[in-house]
Amino acid sequence: MNEKKAAILGEIPRLRRYARSLLRDRDSADDLVQDCLERALVRLDNWQTGESPRRWLFTIMHHLFIDQMRKVNRRGEAQMLPLEAGEAQAAPAEQVESIASREIVDALQAISPDRRAALVMVAIEGFSYAEAANILGVPAGTLMSRIARGREELRGLLDDSARRRSIRVVEK
Amino acid sequence: MTRRDFSERDIHMALDGELPGEERVAYDSWLEASPEMKAKSVRYIADRAALRAAFAGVMDEPVPARLRQTVLGEATVRAAAWRSRWWLSAAAAVVLVAGGLAGYVAGIDGIGRGDSADDQLAEQAIAAHVIYAAEKRHAVEVPASDMEHLQTWLSNRVGLKLVAPDLMAEGFQLVGGRLLPAGHGKAAMLLYEDAKGERISLFVTAESADKAKGTYMAEQGGPEAVYWLDKGYGCAVVGSLPRERLAAVAKSAYGQLLAGLAS
Repeated sequence: MNEKKAAILGEIPRLRRYARSLLRDRDSADDLVQDCLERALVRLDNWQTGESPRRWLFTIMHHLFIDQMRKVNRRGEAQMLPLEAGEAQAAPAEQVESIASREIVDALQAISPDRRAALVMVAIEGFSYAEAANILGVPAGTLMSRIARGREELRGLLDDSARRRSIRVVEK
Repeated sequence: MTRRDFSERDIHMALDGELPGEERVAYDSWLEASPEMKAKSVRYIADRAALRAAFAGVMDEPVPARLRQTVLGEATVRAAAWRSRWWLSAAAAVVLVAGGLAGYVAGIDGIGRGDSADDQLAEQAIAAHVIYAAEKRHAVEVPASDMEHLQTWLSNRVGLKLVAPDLMAEGFQLVGGRLLPAGHGKAAMLLYEDAKGERISLFVTAESADKAKGTYMAEQGGPEAVYWLDKGYGCAVVGSLPRERLAAVAKSAYGQLLAGLAS
């Protein structure tokens, strides 16, 4: 196995984590990773030695994600993934999500894809603003406002669901 | 010491490690002086911790074989092989959850040839569907009325114990079946029809070394295939149904096919 492939293999866990935060559904997320890997292998020559494989791969995957989101939007589909309750329940549950985890994962899916990507890139994947802006292909200012709006939106959704819960308790 | 006005924006910067070190002390005292901003900061820190915790488990999951294979596969990767189907596959995602029949799911490992057998299977299945589902009188070779012969004949030819799934619960009745070429081998095609005349087909072959699943559409607006490949067999369900309905039909068909194979 050559060095480049070894480096790519080493990034798969992170790519999967990023994909999962973008798409939630495990199989869809792995399909996205697979598309990313396939595209990366085709373009192996474009990868400059010395360039971080992580940044390179995240960039490829992000483009795939955004392209597809745009296509889906053009097709006029309100929702890109069937996230009906039944579907989500049927997802393999080898790691049992706590209520808090499920809530925040749900909320994350509800914010716009651009903000979701920006927030996840920095808050979970630990990229710097400069790196994240580079991967997402936006100016640093845009990135910052996406992160700020994304965080606000996420918190708002969590507050809402907490409120709904307490209303239910009161109604009993 | 640097003195400047801080704002909410700095809360994000501080959280993301983007606040210059020399501003940190001034920022901290600004935060302490403002209960509102302090509360915001505390909530955002907690949210970030929850986000990280929610996805931390993914890093410990074993890397799926198909992803390793994609990287290690020595076969040439065609540019055309790139095709976004992950957004469709969510519809089919539930399908395999039920597919835990030990013999078929176990023992898949190592490095496949990665020659995108899945695309081939889906393409063949769609091609067959496009040709035969449109035929009124010659859609099938053996009609459903001759069920026993149909199953025995196709099982013998394809080399799998084939039991035609009963899709009545999904509103589809078996029309019949035919034998088709598939790669170097043969495939069985079973055609179903609902009350409105909408047709779907089931394409089953005994050839497949790769393990994969997904959905596939040859062209925009054309019929879609939900397929599975596993050791020793490949199967695709093709139709122009709404995605959820196709996924539901496919799930039912797949479960019954597996049960039939193992019977």
